[in-house]
Amino acid sequence: MAVATALHRLGMDADHVLRADGTSLRLRRLLLMIACFGMVYGSVMGSFAGVTGERFLQVTYSAIKAPMLLVVTFALSVPSFYVINTLLGLRDDFAEALRAVVAAQAGLTVILGSLAPLTAWWYACTGDYQAAIVFNALMFAVASVGAQSILRAHYRRLIARRPAHRWTLVGWLVIYAFVGVQMAWLLRPFIGAPGASPQFLRADAIGNAYIELLRILRLALFG
Amino acid sequence: MKQTIRQLDAILRGDATRPELLKEGQLGIPIASVAGALVALGAFYGLCMGAFGVFRIDPESGRQAHDAYMQLLASAIKTPLLFFLTLLITFPSLYVFNALVGSRLSMVSVLRLLVASLAVMLAVLASFGPIVVFFSVSTDSYPFMKLLNVAAGTLAGLFGLAFLLRTLQRLLGPDPVVRQRARQDVAEPTPPTDANAPSVDDTPAAPVNSGPLERVEGLSSRKARRVFEIWTLVFGLVGAQMSWVMRPFLGSPGMPFTWFRDRQSNFFLEVLKALQNLLGA
Repeated sequence: MAVATALHRLGMDADHVLRADGTSLRLRRLLLMIACFGMVYGSVMGSFAGVTGERFLQVTYSAIKAPMLLVVTFALSVPSFYVINTLLGLRDDFAEALRAVVAAQAGLTVILGSLAPLTAWWYACTGDYQAAIVFNALMFAVASVGAQSILRAHYRRLIARRPAHRWTLVGWLVIYAFVGVQMAWLLRPFIGAPGASPQFLRADAIGNAYIELLRILRLALFG
Repeated sequence: MKQTIRQLDAILRGDATRPELLKEGQLGIPIASVAGALVALGAFYGLCMGAFGVFRIDPESGRQAHDAYMQLLASAIKTPLLFFLTLLITFPSLYVFNALVGSRLSMVSVLRLLVASLAVMLAVLASFGPIVVFFSVSTDSYPFMKLLNVAAGTLAGLFGLAFLLRTLQRLLGPDPVVRQRARQDVAEPTPPTDANAPSVDDTPAAPVNSGPLERVEGLSSRKARRVFEIWTLVFGLVGAQMSWVMRPFLGSPGMPFTWFRDRQSNFFLEVLKALQNLLGA
């Protein structure tokens, strides 16, 4: 019974977050939402090469890493966000701004969670690893667009009150994306290549997403 | 300690530089206590930079760099020093030219203003610290780390200097020309505005709690401002080159630890070189 109540409450919270209807949820509950829905998508994401036996490890790892990706990126970006908000004279609104960015991340996981069945279906349809990567990237892109709209809905109220919030919003997106891309790179593998044995982090994970990106670009442009 | 944090907070929030407070040309910032905050913030960022050596494993020997912890210590000491020395080098000329153009700022006021600007700069820089550490943990590329730190420093510098110029604007008060024009505006009846155009009176009053970077219109004293604008450029150039002279902060992989390196090359050339390295040209 307690479980049913908790699930019901989680669902109600998720609904509020998606609508961005101004219901202010406690940070703790938003974080719980990120953990739950993030784990749902993560576990599906990690099920590419199967879920039985040793492969179950990859499912578990990915389930842990998906929410971790968001929470750690968030933690690293918050200090700059705080200082920039203060400098632009927006400290009084900081609690609300913080709730807005956390709510957007919670929204991201809720949307991802709703896309999880699609990913599972895609995995069932094709065994192509590259295609799986592309499909997941697509799902993340869709979820990001949705999360952006939640963030903007929250920020519309803030910007109406003080236009300077526009700049902190841009600053947040730049910093969060900059850290998040590298974090995602570092936390690979999420999908788990079929041949490789499950692992939490890749042994060769130390590396830089941006340098890799440059390398790929160079290869594409100059051969 | 608590007092220092409160002071720093007041500067960042703009409480210490409210237009009402500054109209008299006085700036009530305790230099000594804010300087303490500067040292702490600088040392923190220094530690974040030095972390690159601690986390980096040499691919050949499979071990940590030799004197990674010495580099950590050196960076923590040298970063606050970098800012203080840059200030020391550029402050006298600023004060002299400021007096030369007849601004009403006293030497102590100028110093207070600069210390407050450094506090803004270092607070922004320190807030990037966790991100720098994260990239130190996860990347091996030395040119990337160099450029990341240059970017963080540049952003922090821009915030600090913007704070300086805006505060100055508040301090110097209305320019005689502007003042005269304002008086004329009051004397002449304003022409009737288009009915559809939004009336100026409808704009909401400035928020009571404006930030330190907010522009306060109608205040300027042209010559003194020009002096400070040129000075911010000089401060940026000297600071950048100073950071090169006082290197290593990160510790080049494969080079033994030293407190300072030989004088050669310059900051801007090296940034270009790092960019080239990264882009593989």
